[in-house]
Amino acid sequence: MLSTSEIVSTLEMLQNEHLDVRTVTLGINLLDCVSHDIHQFKDRIYSRITGLAADLVRVCNQIGDKYGIPVVNKRISISPMAVAGAPFSSEQLVEVAKVLNDAAVSVNVDFIGGFTALVQKGIARGDRALIEAIPQALAETERVCASVNVASTRAGINMDAVLLMGKIIREAARRTAHQDGLACAKLCVFANIPEDIPFMAGAYLGVGEADAVINVGVSGPGVVKKAIDRAIAADPRLDLGRLSEIIKRTAYKVTRVGELIGREVASVLGIRFGVVDLSLAPTPNVGDSVGEIFQSLGLKSIGVPGSTAALAMLNDAVKKGGAFASSHVGGLSGAFIPVSEDLNIEAAARSGQLTIEKLEAMTSVCSVGLDMVAIPGDTSEETIAAIIADEMAIGVINKKTTATRLIPVPGKKAGDSAFFGGLLGQSVIMPVNNAEGDNPFIRLGGLIPAPIQSMNN
Amino acid sequence: MKKVIVSVFGPDRPGILAAVSRILHEQDCNIENVTQTILQSEFSGSFIADTPESLTADALCCCFSRILTPMRLQVHVKYLEVAVPALSGVASEPFVITTRGPDRKGLVAGITHVIASYGVNVTHLQAVFKGGDNPGDNIMIYEVDVPVNIDAHIFHRDLQDRAAELGLVISIQHRRIFEAINRV
Repeated sequence: MLSTSEIVSTLEMLQNEHLDVRTVTLGINLLDCVSHDIHQFKDRIYSRITGLAADLVRVCNQIGDKYGIPVVNKRISISPMAVAGAPFSSEQLVEVAKVLNDAAVSVNVDFIGGFTALVQKGIARGDRALIEAIPQALAETERVCASVNVASTRAGINMDAVLLMGKIIREAARRTAHQDGLACAKLCVFANIPEDIPFMAGAYLGVGEADAVINVGVSGPGVVKKAIDRAIAADPRLDLGRLSEIIKRTAYKVTRVGELIGREVASVLGIRFGVVDLSLAPTPNVGDSVGEIFQSLGLKSIGVPGSTAALAMLNDAVKKGGAFASSHVGGLSGAFIPVSEDLNIEAAARSGQLTIEKLEAMTSVCSVGLDMVAIPGDTSEETIAAIIADEMAIGVINKKTTATRLIPVPGKKAGDSAFFGGLLGQSVIMPVNNAEGDNPFIRLGGLIPAPIQSMNN
Repeated sequence: MKKVIVSVFGPDRPGILAAVSRILHEQDCNIENVTQTILQSEFSGSFIADTPESLTADALCCCFSRILTPMRLQVHVKYLEVAVPALSGVASEPFVITTRGPDRKGLVAGITHVIASYGVNVTHLQAVFKGGDNPGDNIMIYEVDVPVNIDAHIFHRDLQDRAAELGLVISIQHRRIFEAINRV
């Protein structure tokens, strides 16, 4: 027999606190679709994706209804296209991106990720072709997401790739100038990219994965905020140790939801279950914000002094709760702080309480990085690359994932607004400080060697 | 051995369970199942027990009445018949139906009518109506077994339509979600 409090608290989480499964992502291995013939390759990947994912949306909706938990997004991740499509030119890979988009439309998923290159130690011919295809591919498709891993703790930082990505991001923004550089919102640059991320834009299926796998991304910043608010209302003298415990317990509940839904979707589809990514992922809705958690913890706003400590505690408590809830935790697993996708964080940026420099500091303790940060359209390739390099260094040295999703908004300057729409939200354009003049450092190129931390065998 | 079911109800007070179980023990009965609850100030309990062949239900009832009537408790005793499963052996899935909304007459009747019309069996019901407009003070929680051979989508839709007519917000969820979230 269930207790009334068990039922009522669960309903509160669902109905008033935005608990949902943010994404069920079907990973599809495309490596055996490889061919030297572009037409054959396109046919094979289209058939593979539409075949395996034909029932994904229907099954997710059916199981979401069964448990009363909405599965907000259904998505697909694929093998890194720079590997599967290595024989092809950039022009041909743009065609491949369009096929991926068509497949996504056919099975009604909102994004397909894996237009990806892994170049942390060097750029192979196929990698370069894919990276150079990214601007056009993202500009001429709606649902394709791209990612490039330019650094890892084991390999170091490929500064040639970093500089190249500065150029690619600028070009992607230019090609979608009429949409405030929207293509850049579908492009992540990573250090230590995990092989099983279900969240976009960084999702791809690692080469060490099975033929097909279901990964789940849960959410729940609203649930965490309300749990903190209730606890403080009941006992205003709560200290941070006890608040951390409350966050941990809440993360446990959220993760359990994700694993339950993910396993059942996988079972019905006859596909292996992979991981739960227990990240706190905000949406541009009131009450579904990571930024609001900072205010519940007593900070005036995300970005003020104390924010990094608060985020460190939040991120750690989320991981601990999730690790207890599931033995199969993966992906990014932590708190996201995407500026445009979180009303509260965007407001902090707009007011000046949150700067890029503070965001960068905070990314040393959270799960992603400089995410959905709109910057002035005239920010140079070198400056973009330098920001990426700084972010990659944080990841490489700390043996963690970091990433950037920077959007140089064409024709706009700091303080202006950019609109991306939907889950991608909208944002003030944040100033990039101290970026005047040349940056010869970033043009030196080569590989920043793997740090001493990599020598752990 | 025969089985009896003993139903006891009346004003709650200390000692009811002690009195009922002592009588059953004195009459050489073995208790198999007990459930009891208190609704506002009223005690309600049911006991299933094995009884000796020589003991009749009427005789057992007399024993109870002697002790329990002075305690203002009423007792009913009957033989337990061979049980037929509530869903006649049809496989089912456990769901929880929860309604919240302002109190008014006919809420339980309105919801249970739909539930019954689909052959869905209520296994446990908690309903609290404190009155007023606060939805949290007026809640019904039905734990039900839903036969797998009914159209769950239409069942859910009909329940939602009925709830809307009654001014209720309704949720229909598989029981496992509550266990997953709340229990280790």
